[in-house]
Amino acid sequence: MAPRYRNRIELLQGTLDLLILQTLQWGAQHGYGISQAIRANSGDILQVDTGSLYPALHRLERQKWISADWKLSENKQRVRVYRLTATGKKQLLSERSRWEQLSDAIAGVLSPAKREGQA
Amino acid sequence: MRFFWHRDRKQQELRQELQSHLELAAGDKRSRGESATDAESSAHREFGNIALVEQVTRDQWGTRWLEEFLQDLRYGARMLRKSPGFATIAILTLALGIGANTTIFSWIRAVLLNPLPGAGDSSRVVALEELAPSGDWLPISYPDFRDLRDNSKLLDSMTVSYPMALAVGEDRRAERISGELVSGNYFNVLKIDPEVGRFFSAGESDDAQNAHPVAVLSYSFWRTRYHGEPSVIGTTIRINRHSYTVIGITPKGFHGSLPGLDFQIFVPATMFAQLNATGDWMLQDRKTRTFRVLARLAPQTGIEQARAEIASITAHVAEVNRTTNEGVSATVLPIWKSHWGIQDSMRAPLGILMGAAGVVLLIVCANIANLLLTHATSRQKELSVRVALGAPRSRLVRQLLTETALLSVAGSVLGLFSAFWLVGSLRYLIPTAAARNLLRPPIDSVVLWFTAALAMGVVMLAGIAPAIYGARGNVNDVLKEFGRDSTGSGRSQTLRTLLVVAEMALAVIAIVGAGLFLKSFRLARMVQPGFDPQHVALARFSMSTAGYDAAQADAFCRRLRERLESQPGVVSVSYADYVPLSVAAGAWEDLQIEGYVPGASENMKIYRSVVALGYFDTMKIPLLAGRDFTLNDDISHAPVMIVNQTFVNRFLHGEYAIGRKVNGWGHWFTIIGVAQDAKYYRLTEAATPYFYVPMRQIYRPEFAFNFFVRTTGSPDQAIAALPREGQAIDPALPAFGAMPLAEFISASLFQEQIAANLMSLLAGIAFVLAAMGLYGVMAFAVAQRTREIGIRLAMGAQRSSVLRLVARQSVVLLLAGLTAGLLTAAALGRFVSWMLFSVSPSDATVYAFAAAATILIAVAATLMPAVRAMRVDPLVALRYE
Repeated sequence: MAPRYRNRIELLQGTLDLLILQTLQWGAQHGYGISQAIRANSGDILQVDTGSLYPALHRLERQKWISADWKLSENKQRVRVYRLTATGKKQLLSERSRWEQLSDAIAGVLSPAKREGQA
Repeated sequence: MRFFWHRDRKQQELRQELQSHLELAAGDKRSRGESATDAESSAHREFGNIALVEQVTRDQWGTRWLEEFLQDLRYGARMLRKSPGFATIAILTLALGIGANTTIFSWIRAVLLNPLPGAGDSSRVVALEELAPSGDWLPISYPDFRDLRDNSKLLDSMTVSYPMALAVGEDRRAERISGELVSGNYFNVLKIDPEVGRFFSAGESDDAQNAHPVAVLSYSFWRTRYHGEPSVIGTTIRINRHSYTVIGITPKGFHGSLPGLDFQIFVPATMFAQLNATGDWMLQDRKTRTFRVLARLAPQTGIEQARAEIASITAHVAEVNRTTNEGVSATVLPIWKSHWGIQDSMRAPLGILMGAAGVVLLIVCANIANLLLTHATSRQKELSVRVALGAPRSRLVRQLLTETALLSVAGSVLGLFSAFWLVGSLRYLIPTAAARNLLRPPIDSVVLWFTAALAMGVVMLAGIAPAIYGARGNVNDVLKEFGRDSTGSGRSQTLRTLLVVAEMALAVIAIVGAGLFLKSFRLARMVQPGFDPQHVALARFSMSTAGYDAAQADAFCRRLRERLESQPGVVSVSYADYVPLSVAAGAWEDLQIEGYVPGASENMKIYRSVVALGYFDTMKIPLLAGRDFTLNDDISHAPVMIVNQTFVNRFLHGEYAIGRKVNGWGHWFTIIGVAQDAKYYRLTEAATPYFYVPMRQIYRPEFAFNFFVRTTGSPDQAIAALPREGQAIDPALPAFGAMPLAEFISASLFQEQIAANLMSLLAGIAFVLAAMGLYGVMAFAVAQRTREIGIRLAMGAQRSSVLRLVARQSVVLLLAGLTAGLLTAAALGRFVSWMLFSVSPSDATVYAFAAAATILIAVAATLMPAVRAMRVDPLVALRYE
């Protein structure tokens, strides 16, 4: 494995969907843009594999949470641009709250002392 | 097609999308200062395997199963092309099985399941029948019909129906057309709207006799005869020499109310007297039970409730009209269970045929399962390699099932084509008289669904076990044996054993069935009818259509008799109102016999014939006592009758009968003679009391006049002479149905004949298929053991011991199959026993024959491959590795 992948963290199943939806909340974006945004926003820690990204995009599109259009990019290139749909927005909200519950729960397990102190 | 186009475009877009990703990534790298080539190659490296990404993305489209299915189809078609012998045999035998089943089902649908095509909400239409004290069904008289119609509340509307051949057209060039005489509300009962014109009005629907000469034509009659001209409405047509006004046309697809038959013209039943040239009394007499009655159940009414209501109405009618209706009741039946029409005699034969065709299809399935199993065994290596390379087993099962489905669909399509061609042969299954206006059974959507279900069933029955077996082979075992001939795993042996046993059992059942019906038919054919039908010509004249009265009819018959008697080769001539062994029931009369007290519910309706002079001589029915009718037995002399031996035995205790008195038609008749028993209705009937009265004393204009001409040699000349001489006397009185009497009465064995012929045909097919299957299994089993046999021979085993080895295997199978088949046949036999004539459903010779035939094919199927196995050169067998 190349050294620059050393800090990479394998994404939990299902979290990629959340990240994609969250990224698209800032505006329509093409596949490459989404992967770059996730990487930049995670401080280069989360690196999305194309073999996961595109299946996820097409799956979300089939579930009608995102929709896709062909557009011209700034440098006049034809790109397929994804945007969040209305149901996708609802889905993002529920996935976010689920994720917050999960991370709270994990945090609770990881620092039990705090909980005991509260009890 | 659109799917493929859409899929191709989507694939194209995905490729472009991934390409744009690469370009964007390379662009970023270039802007960060990398060289163009470096940027491109590192973008590629980071991206990974493009084809793989494409593949996993495509999987998200949800069309993967379809793509795999298409792949399986292509692969399956290639496999079948590679083994054309296997494919051809499988498809042809399937076509046979499915063609037979589809054909018979379409008959069942036309005659029983969908008896009133074209009628609206036809499941609510029911038939009414009266029941004699004996429990026999009876048609309904017009006055009884009126009472039922006017008093029933649970039956919405009620109509009579009376099928009748009508002479339609200009009097001299009239054609015989099938017509139905019906009540004015007939079309309301059946919920049908006119295509053109109108149906009977309220005014035309009353009970006034001979007042409404109007007619409705069927769509096909209108198209063929009047080229679909709407202007035919309001014109006059001639029916039975009377003028009728055409008022309407029925819609396409409506064929009248008798299941399976086609009627072309509909006339009010109140015109009955005019059309039959009878008096008005026919529709006023409660004892003249003439009509079929149909009704529509009121909403929310079950058939049981309607039956109870009708029973109470008829009980009341019987109380008020004791002389005519005592003990007569009525019932309500679904059309398919009603007795008037071909469905009555077809119900049981069609059921049995469907069963036999089912057996054939099961054997076909067993054969195909066996072929597939053999096929899967020989492909074991290929399949195992695919499992080893990571193909999921479910995928292999699906692929093998797809191959079976391909076979099944091809066989079904071929079978369907043959069914289109075969459905018309229903006409050979029903008596010729009814076949004249038989409807060609349509292959409609329900029949197509049935065929589709069959095709599906074949895949399940024949395909699943071999597919699971084929996909299950243990990878390691098979790969270890790579290049060596596997001897077939234990599991495939068990499956195959089951198939052989099932096939033999089915063959036994088919042969037993055919044997029982054939033997029954042979015995029935040997029954003596009690008269001599050889050298007798028959033709019928219908005086009523010509409007003859008694004196005119008598004069015509006398002149015709004279002319015929002067023909060369004619021995004697006579006529009667009934032809013995007609499939139609004859007429009967309620008798009161002096000195005989009938039991409380005893049926005293005795069948009879009204005959002319010389009847007994012409038919060669011996008189056992007394004298024949003479010229003096006419209207001016005391009424006389001749009874048969069974009549004497039953009602006169076998005593001397001459001079005894019998009351019928309101007169006292004196018995003047006793005739030997004959068969009157069916050859298979039990001894029946019967009597004859002279035509000169009892005459009804509606009688059919059946002329019998006995000749010295062949009756051919007399057959030509009958219509010719009749025409010479009155050109407007055509003879019909001129044929040898022997041929006419063969119709009385019709049901036995159909059952015997068709069952033997289907059993023959089943037998051949089972033999083929058995041979295939045995030959394969021996072939699988070729190496083993070679080793045994090389080690010095005797050839006879090798033969024993092969034979032992099949003897066990044979015994199991025989036992299963014989036991099942015995259990099923009970259901057909009532259709058999003097043959027990457990007839020993039939079972012995079935067993012998099955043993014969089993032995042949074993011996041939066994002998080949013995000839194996040990060296060749061993080198075969």
